[in-house]
Amino acid sequence: MAVTHPHARTAIVRTEAPLKRWFLRHPGAMRGLVIALLLLIWEFAARFLLDSDFISPPSVVLMSLGTLFATPGVPKALGLALYEIAIGFALAAVIGAGIGLAVGLSRFAHRSFMPIILLLYGLPQVTILPIFVLLFGIGAASKIAFGVSHGMFPIMISVAAGVQKINPVLRTSARSMGASRAQILYHVIFPHAVPSFFTGLRLGMTGVLLGVLLAELYVSTAGIGFFTSLFTQNLEPTRLIGLVAMLAVIAVVLNEIVRRAELHYGRWRA
Amino acid sequence: MTAAEAAIRICDVSHQFGEIGQARHVQALKDTSLDIARGELHCLIGPSGCGKSTLLSVIGGLTKPTTGSVTVSGKPVRGPMPHDIAYVFQESALFPWNTVLENIVLGMKFQGVPKAKRRDRARRALEAVGLEAFAQHFPGQLSGGMRQRAALARALSLETDILLMDEPFGALDEQTRMVLGEDLSVLLSRSHKTIVFVTHSLGEAVFLADRVAVFSARPGTIKQIIAVDEPHPRKPSFMTALKFHALRDQLYGLLHDEIRKSIAETAPLRRRYDDTAEKNEGVA
Ligand SMILES: Nc1ncnc2c1ncn2[C@@H]1O[C@H](COP(=O)(O)OP(=O)(O)OP(=O)(O)O)[C@@H](O)[C@H]1O
Ligand SMILES: [Mg+2]
Repeated sequence: MAVTHPHARTAIVRTEAPLKRWFLRHPGAMRGLVIALLLLIWEFAARFLLDSDFISPPSVVLMSLGTLFATPGVPKALGLALYEIAIGFALAAVIGAGIGLAVGLSRFAHRSFMPIILLLYGLPQVTILPIFVLLFGIGAASKIAFGVSHGMFPIMISVAAGVQKINPVLRTSARSMGASRAQILYHVIFPHAVPSFFTGLRLGMTGVLLGVLLAELYVSTAGIGFFTSLFTQNLEPTRLIGLVAMLAVIAVVLNEIVRRAELHYGRWRA
Repeated sequence: MTAAEAAIRICDVSHQFGEIGQARHVQALKDTSLDIARGELHCLIGPSGCGKSTLLSVIGGLTKPTTGSVTVSGKPVRGPMPHDIAYVFQESALFPWNTVLENIVLGMKFQGVPKAKRRDRARRALEAVGLEAFAQHFPGQLSGGMRQRAALARALSLETDILLMDEPFGALDEQTRMVLGEDLSVLLSRSHKTIVFVTHSLGEAVFLADRVAVFSARPGTIKQIIAVDEPHPRKPSFMTALKFHALRDQLYGLLHDEIRKSIAETAPLRRRYDDTAEKNEGVA
């Protein structure tokens, strides 16, 4: 066809280029399109191909979010999960940054403790989940602790790595101007470690979510874990998927908060 | 020169890195003595690796010499003396996460300047180097020359009598460094600061210095001191003067042998390369 219409190719380029350029300028549009497409496939598959006992179409899930929240105990369970994730995340950030700084700043501490940290991080922690429950009980504490133990390692490792990469001339010049050790820590080492801290936070977030939810599923007397097994056993995919979607919303919101903070503190790199 | 006239007295300073026998052992400085007069610009020039930066950091109290001593304004140097000495480093030592203004303010905070005075002094220092329009820029948004001017502004804002500059314009193109050199000469004539200035550029040394100390190859020690008798501020026309060229040639003559000596260390490398080249030819 291109042979019979020599101008066809240029014509196509002309009509395509502005559309392509528009997409390149709006990365969110492509993202939205992909998500819409996936939802559409899901909707189609759930309605016509799959067993409605095991999966519900997204439109139905969305419409019945109201009944999900009307289920006695569900709002409280979601609130509890949010509380556990938030506290776990904050603790993981503080502990991870603290140990990461200590290990990154001292060559001795780095050589002594970094192998241990890497070993613990590599360990499949699910295997010791029962020990957490024995130590911290079946309440929120064990779930928070399990979340922290998953989330703190990536934060630790990236902070320690970030601190080590500092340009020595910056410390020397601060020292030459009379900076105390505390001032060097606060004005030179902290700001230098901020980008790697945020990288760690993003990785640690996934860890905290994983840890908290694993513990929730394991200790399923109440809370999210209880309701997921309840809805699964009763073959209520609509409410199950709705619940999972709400957890996803929590994750997205927390991630967005971290991203905003990162943008704010990373202005100088732009 | 009497002790009272000297802003900086360097007495028999030797410095070695690592212990004798260790692989990383280096004798960087050997029995170096030098008096630097109040208000003079003293250049240090010498082959790479001869210990110029080491000497500067010994003067600044950032490195403790193995033997020997340094006194600044009559006080023995035991550590950093932020009220007497300000530093400009070879690479930009500005904090990349602070704006130019914040960098200068922070330096004064480290030094202990009361908060109320910091902004004003920072503005004045920025004006002195012609960067007042870039106060809110981050170092990463400036050119190399502007970054070094900002670093100079930070050092000036500390209002010390002594300024140590380690190849401050070393990474810049020749035209920029000549212009910055002129500015520095003007500044010096106004502020009466004592400046120790490390450079690799013969022209820069002659143009800026009241005296130039020529170092031998490592272990570095001062081979000769050359005086440049020309008042500050120096004009670009000085660079075309006969005196300028005579001094420059004299410096080059002194340095040439030392640089040969310091390059000689790398000669075995070249020989090894030649060996393999021959071997490869043989195979071919
Ligand atoms: N921290 C250190 N540890 C070990 N050796 C060092 C250290 N700093 C410098 N040296 C060595 O001391 C010698 C002198 O170094 P210095 O930086 O003072 O040289 P320089 O004269 O400033 O050279 P350049 O002109 O290249 O900057 C060099 O051989 C260097 O390898
Ligand atoms: Mg040097």
